[in-house]
Amino acid sequence: MAQHRVATVDEIRPGERKLVQIEGRSVGIFNVDGTFYALRNVCPHQGAEVCLGSIGGMTVCGNQEDGTLSELRFEKAGEILRCPWHGWEFEIKTGKSIFNPQGCYIKNYPVTIGQKDVADGGILRVETYPTSVEERFVIVHL
Amino acid sequence: MKLNDIIDCDVHPHPRDMEEIRKYLPLPWRNRLQMVNSRGMYMNPIHVNRLDSVTPDGGFPCSDPDFMRKQLLDAYGINYAILLPRAFATMYPNPDFAAAVAAGYNDWLADCWLDNNNTDGRCKGSITVAPQDPKLAVKEIERWAGNPHMVQVMMDGGSRAPYGQRQFYPIYEACEHYGLPVAFHPGTEGVGINESPAPGYPSTYIEWHVGLMLAFQSHLISFITEGVFERFPKLKVVLVEGGSAWLPPLLWRLEAEWKALREEVPWVKKRPSEYVRDHVRITSQPLENPDNKQQLLQIFEMMGAKDILMFSSDYPHWDFDSPTRAFPKLDEETKRRIFFENAKELYNLD
Repeated sequence: MAQHRVATVDEIRPGERKLVQIEGRSVGIFNVDGTFYALRNVCPHQGAEVCLGSIGGMTVCGNQEDGTLSELRFEKAGEILRCPWHGWEFEIKTGKSIFNPQGCYIKNYPVTIGQKDVADGGILRVETYPTSVEERFVIVHL
Repeated sequence: MKLNDIIDCDVHPHPRDMEEIRKYLPLPWRNRLQMVNSRGMYMNPIHVNRLDSVTPDGGFPCSDPDFMRKQLLDAYGINYAILLPRAFATMYPNPDFAAAVAAGYNDWLADCWLDNNNTDGRCKGSITVAPQDPKLAVKEIERWAGNPHMVQVMMDGGSRAPYGQRQFYPIYEACEHYGLPVAFHPGTEGVGINESPAPGYPSTYIEWHVGLMLAFQSHLISFITEGVFERFPKLKVVLVEGGSAWLPPLLWRLEAEWKALREEVPWVKKRPSEYVRDHVRITSQPLENPDNKQQLLQIFEMMGAKDILMFSSDYPHWDFDSPTRAFPKLDEETKRRIFFENAKELYNLD
């Protein structure tokens, strides 16, 4: 797999995202609570730029069995990406849709954090980053 | 920039804000408009419009003719967009106010989208009328019938009676006279003064929104059983954004009952499905999407989609259908008819 440095870790704050081009593909890089994730910027539904969607949480409810079906809870704050077109919900961490995690998902890529001397397989704007031994990069593996 | 022989039969321009639309309403109504780009209830709680359709300067979705061209017409090579504004005129209790709102939206549409900012002529418009006072609606049709960019009359699907009933005939008479189809678009069902196909008020947006097709089914049954197409033999009706896959079983039922009950409605002289083929057109969005796409193709066959279905996107709304992704693969001829020819013929476009 080719490794691509797409940002410095400071560049994308928790809750933020950055859109990059890697090997001709548009990819969204997300920082969720300090961990980075990379999602292909194509919605499996009708091909919208899903990474431009809204980031939020989701409302869930309890169970019929314990009588809590009507009790609403808001959870996974900052972990849910909603497609900007029809609003389909996806977990940023896995790319999986909420309504059909096995069958419907956004393609995602492994992400690691590395130092400046990691081999760079892609054509990116890394040359604009200040070089320093403390600099840490978000690396997407395609 | 390549044109792909696509006509988008449902695009929604919006005033940028209250200020932009208000000035087009005549006095004294101008200062009484309370809402713009909202009907006050049954709004999508997630997002109403595509999040990426906000204009580059942060303006309301589809409030900018140039950006709409960039993001929709040029992006997909669309030849024409049929514009349907969202005046929600049918929800108001005051018939004069309703007529003023409709007139204001028509003046705004012409000024901002049709007579100006439309040098390529790709935008065509709808004459919004309020059915609360059919005589005023006729006046409004007469006011606009000569505008070369207005290609149809439109009314919201939300009403106080099925649209086949006689109190609406002055409107259909005018439409027939001027050769303008009359289009219905949902949005005010159960809102304001309007009845709704649900036996009461749906609790959630999803319940209401899915149920909108029921209103359109009601109106269609009304048109046919009231004999509207016998009375106005040249009238064309367009059902916009009411779904389409429900049509075949509805017509099977209607025809079966007509064979038994013709006595009650002797003015229905032909099979209901013939009236639909000759007088009714349906836009595709939101296209039904079965897991097995073959089933949708079978429904197209049952429906005569090749002759009556017309592509629409519903840009910039959340349930937008992409011209390239919403449909399963069609044979060339069917595709051409649905995406281009049916609308070209209906609206007399070059």
